[in-house]
Amino acid sequence: MIVPLGAYIAVSAALFFIGCAGVLVRRNAVVILMCVELMLNAANLALVAFSRKYGAVDERGSVFVVFVFVIAAAEVAVGLAIVLSAYRNRAVIDVDEIHQMSG
Amino acid sequence: MRFDFVEPLVFALLSLGVIVGGAAVVLIDRITAAALFMAFTFLCMAGMFVLLGAETIAAFQVLIYVGAITVLILYGVMFTKYGDRPYALFFQRQTPLAVVFVASVGVPVALFSFTFTSGTPPRGGGDLPSLATSVFTDFAFPFEVASVLLLAAMVGAIVLTKREERKETLR
Repeated sequence: MIVPLGAYIAVSAALFFIGCAGVLVRRNAVVILMCVELMLNAANLALVAFSRKYGAVDERGSVFVVFVFVIAAAEVAVGLAIVLSAYRNRAVIDVDEIHQMSG
Repeated sequence: MRFDFVEPLVFALLSLGVIVGGAAVVLIDRITAAALFMAFTFLCMAGMFVLLGAETIAAFQVLIYVGAITVLILYGVMFTKYGDRPYALFFQRQTPLAVVFVASVGVPVALFSFTFTSGTPPRGGGDLPSLATSVFTDFAFPFEVASVLLLAAMVGAIVLTKREERKETLR
């Protein structure tokens, strides 16, 4: 492992902040889902990097990455279902316009 | 001859791809392009997993993220309308460019597959045995919970997007 661990963590943090900024800035619900996926993937990179650096015997970090994959797939399936359902009922996809459930 | 410079170089290229792709997802207004940039980011991330020696995770990344999730998001883009799209036939206008890209991938693949001679397979199997051992021993119960979660997500997605049938009784 020639590339130091910090470089991987830096890329992971950068991608996480990009995704976080996207969730906060963008108003399209589908783009927000994409940015959430970017954040999950950044966390995956950090998990694998730490697992490679400190857990060389077994692959516990990678196991968590597999679970993150499962969660991400479930999240995007349900999230898209909610977005499509809202779009069909209201014909809007802007999250600022969808405030039916707010108080 | 030393090849120590290859790994940092590949890492630099992949990290550049990840950062630029991620920024493009946030900054680009066209949602289809954003989804394709997201797939590009995921591909670069798979390259990083290979660089880290986690080949199995990289394969899962390509299968699940680049394959399944990107296609799902593209379907979501397809079913929702956002703003005007004055360039609806964007992809069809780039047939020559597409031919060049397909040839640049397809010709080497065809050449390789016709001149392939199988050598001795490498021993071990990368990180797969230790990963599988962990999943099916220490993490067996979370693994089952994850499968139930996937089932619940599938049923939930179907229920959420199902159209309400008009209950009209014939009498």
